[in-house]
Amino acid sequence: MSFAVVFVIAVALGFDFFNGFHDAANSIATVVSTRVLSPRQAVAWAAFFNFAAFLIFGTAVAATIAKDVVQPAIFDNQVIFAGLIGAIAWDVITWYAGLPTSSSHALVGGMAGAAVAKAGWAALIGSGLQKIIVFIVLSPLIGLLLGFTIMVSVYWLFHRNKRVDRLNHGFRRMQLVSAAAFSLGHGANDAQKTMGVILALLIANKQVAADSGVPLWVVLSAHTAIGLGTLFGGWRIVHTMGSKITKLTPSSGMSAELAAAATLFFTAHAGIPVSTTHTITGAIVGVGTTQRLSAVRWGVAGRVVWAWVLTIPGAFIVSYFVFLPFKALG
Amino acid sequence: MRFSRRALFFLAVAVIFLLMIPPTPLEFRWLNLAMAGLALLWAVLLGIEDLATRRRTLRQGASEVANDRTSRTDVT
Repeated sequence: MSFAVVFVIAVALGFDFFNGFHDAANSIATVVSTRVLSPRQAVAWAAFFNFAAFLIFGTAVAATIAKDVVQPAIFDNQVIFAGLIGAIAWDVITWYAGLPTSSSHALVGGMAGAAVAKAGWAALIGSGLQKIIVFIVLSPLIGLLLGFTIMVSVYWLFHRNKRVDRLNHGFRRMQLVSAAAFSLGHGANDAQKTMGVILALLIANKQVAADSGVPLWVVLSAHTAIGLGTLFGGWRIVHTMGSKITKLTPSSGMSAELAAAATLFFTAHAGIPVSTTHTITGAIVGVGTTQRLSAVRWGVAGRVVWAWVLTIPGAFIVSYFVFLPFKALG
Repeated sequence: MRFSRRALFFLAVAVIFLLMIPPTPLEFRWLNLAMAGLALLWAVLLGIEDLATRRRTLRQGASEVANDRTSRTDVT
């Protein structure tokens, strides 16, 4: 394996680490804001389940990233490097602004931008991109609907129970389970995107066969990187997700996480790279809607939506320009 | 008749799911339909709840007015 390949793999794992740092905060926002766990405990809890995800889920999302976004023949070290730099730059900008945007879509936009800079629009695979773009819209709405449905079901089941303290205690315990489920979904979705990038790199450098699956060492290193990223956390975004969109209680936090986890399990199984950020935001809005529409701070939710809309084009443009010097050098 | 904002919100969500059917890959279109159905169900239930609440409020208002009149008649 050449130094260039090792270097780009290191950058990809760095992206995964930053993805954990940036996105995984969403896994723990609800448990922290409802004071079920201290920030330190919540981070360790989420990191563990991020890592454990590799034992449960396959690598369908990784295959989509490696083979369904950009024509595999276009991938080389420079395209993947430029794509990663574009995605990382976009993540840093949005992290600094405290916006919960999607690292996943930044990665897709970044790869697409670098590939177009190399070989024009024909480098892109329309059907793969279409699937990802459709689920940019669908995943938060699915989270919203499931969040609302679970929250109403919880009300129906427990509204006659007068022992509020005991009930809250039970929900707090359940939130540990729901946070773990969401972290599993997050690990499955986001770590796989990095696996996909590394797989594309290995195929481009003929280190593995074009039709091969993801090597185990890639799976383990991607999950380790995202788990470590989660350990370092991204507190600006925890604050936005956990308190600014709507006020959460143990029962609503649990409902939001279960809804988001169910959405992520489905998409991970179906091989659709979705944003965990989009999904949990939709679910939090869904549980907020059970109170009344005005319980949701739509201004913050709207700001988040704008960040989503701009993520793929933003990362695309950055990567496009990062690739140009490589193209000039031939 | 005016429906609550929440009923309209879920109706809009159902419409978005239906509008997203053409660009959705064939193997996932069942998801759009299922979610549109769920959103529509919530829109209808919230609409019914809203109507029931209004009727109850109106009935309570009417009985309070009747009680008030009765008490005034008793005094006179």
